[in-house]
Amino acid sequence: MSTTPQQLLELYRLMVLTRSVETAIERAHRAGRIAGSFHSSLGQESCAAGVCAALRPSDVVTSNHRGHGHALSKGVSAAAVIAELYKRTHGTSGGRGASMHLHDRASGFYGETAIVAGGVPWAAGVAWAKKRTGSDDIAVSFGGDGAFANGTFAETIRLAKFWEAPCLFVCENNGWAHSMPVERIFGPPGSITEVVRAMGVRAECVDGRDVAAVYEATQELVTHVRGGQPAFLECVVYRVRAHSINDADYRYRGKTDGADWLDSNDPIAAVRHKLDELMAGHAAAVDDDVTRIVAEAVARAEAGQSPTPEDAFKTVYASEGLEWHGQVQVR
Amino acid sequence: MAKFKFAEAIRAALDDEMAADDSVVLMGEEVGALGGVFTVTKDLIDKYGPDRVMDSPISEGALAGFAAGAATEGVRPVVEIMFSDFVMLAMDQLINFAAKIHYMSNGQFSVPMVVRLPGGAGTNHGPQHSQSLESWFAQTPGLVVAMPSTPSDAYWMMRESIRLDDPVMFFENKNLYFRLAEEIDPTEGFRGLGAAVRREGADVTIVSAGRMVGMSLEAADMLAQDGYSCEVIDMRYLWPLDLDTVARSLEKTSKLAVVYEAVEYGGWGSEIASWAAAEHFMDLDGPVTRVGSHRVPIPVGVPLEEAVVPTPASIHQSVLELAKY
Repeated sequence: MSTTPQQLLELYRLMVLTRSVETAIERAHRAGRIAGSFHSSLGQESCAAGVCAALRPSDVVTSNHRGHGHALSKGVSAAAVIAELYKRTHGTSGGRGASMHLHDRASGFYGETAIVAGGVPWAAGVAWAKKRTGSDDIAVSFGGDGAFANGTFAETIRLAKFWEAPCLFVCENNGWAHSMPVERIFGPPGSITEVVRAMGVRAECVDGRDVAAVYEATQELVTHVRGGQPAFLECVVYRVRAHSINDADYRYRGKTDGADWLDSNDPIAAVRHKLDELMAGHAAAVDDDVTRIVAEAVARAEAGQSPTPEDAFKTVYASEGLEWHGQVQVR
Repeated sequence: MAKFKFAEAIRAALDDEMAADDSVVLMGEEVGALGGVFTVTKDLIDKYGPDRVMDSPISEGALAGFAAGAATEGVRPVVEIMFSDFVMLAMDQLINFAAKIHYMSNGQFSVPMVVRLPGGAGTNHGPQHSQSLESWFAQTPGLVVAMPSTPSDAYWMMRESIRLDDPVMFFENKNLYFRLAEEIDPTEGFRGLGAAVRREGADVTIVSAGRMVGMSLEAADMLAQDGYSCEVIDMRYLWPLDLDTVARSLEKTSKLAVVYEAVEYGGWGSEIASWAAAEHFMDLDGPVTRVGSHRVPIPVGVPLEEAVVPTPASIHQSVLELAKY
């Protein structure tokens, strides 16, 4: 399967959208408009875009703490993501979760979990439940290389194979598990893939800088997964920014390492160059469109409503009569 | 009417709910071919097949997350944790995900899941197979905590728990599984989430749950011989907590003892004691008494175990002091 120019333009749009939203969030943080944690995926937008573009709207994605790109690429609006970062009621989670708790069921972005590897079994369970109803929708979990060191990840791959859950496990190997170089834990890129292959699960490793390669590899694996078996995809990318916006990454790597990598490896710049050759003017139009959308989203978030203190007590329980209104209550 | 032991009653509840609703599935280690180490799921695989009675690898963490994930998609899993002590391996998924996803997603997802937790002492299984962990879960927002004391209650509480739209931690005291037999009338209907008065009395209110209810009733018999009349309340659920029933009893007795198998320090019984001291200070004619387990691991063997966990004799002794006060 080769990527058409039109598909490449869509992949470009998804990457630029994520880059633009995350850049806007960084600005808002620095200006003191947003407080709290924020984990940037700058430089690895290609993995989220390439994988999600190969999915249907009714396929499901679960994500981790670095999930803005996954949300936006699965179709969550920039307005809802930015509003959630601003803790506004029109955010994806009503403004109660912010950066690490984006959820939008309608677009199939079931959401982030902020515990490393925590969202992996969620995807497998949803995938199995969908298959049980006769659907051939699948679920995808995004996790990092750091997550693969957590037992939940390995347990879930085993369980998904055992119970034949149509789940694609995407491992974004961005080189860093917080301050730990991934090579120290697992070895060179592709090593995690070898571990999963040894478990009897189909696994591929792709150069994540190449969004078309990610897209094509995902398409192949998705066909396999729709047949009722799990699969695994390692995307080799790089974490350009610090682990989080408050992380002192200069203590464990060179101050300009991220920027230097981006200068010669930026997955967006590569596609932009190609698109300008293939279909002049289209990429620039996408840039303009995204810039407008993000500016409008920021303006709406700035002017948005904050939740009220009463909202803190809502939706603790789902069962009728169990909603929490006091210290104790009996239905 | 047929009589059911505690384990049989839970099996009957699972059977009836599985027959009524195709979305109810069982998952856990050895729940299928073996029928559960305590026989609770015996023969259900023959009736419902391996797609609904699912033997799991020994992966409690992934299992809990997988089941909770399936629950967000409309499945109603009943997960067996072979011994409640093994739930520690599933805690991240239960506490950080299942209990919170309804809240975190602002109501977009819910987790209608029951986690069956055979727990408690009295079976010589030792420190890693005998704990009473219910207080931990009662403290966690988003969870319902059930703790039946009789076969018929186990039946109705299980059926009702499966129908709730929230994760329920269902504590089954394994020491009760084969002891009591009770008639169950399947036409009776759901009993609701409130507490139950198991014995009426005028002098002391004893609040309890699970296996400790039976022991409290034995202690109440002894106290009757001493000339004191005890009201014994079975809380049934540790969340939601039916304090109205306890309050009505206190108005009558003015004395409160809380008997629970969990570690006394920081346990759910302490919460009831604290509530009584704060809300019913003027009604109380004696110090609120707690009878819980000592804060030591649960050893094996009757002499050691009984030194640590409440017994009818130790309950009798503590409540007698309160009654005389």
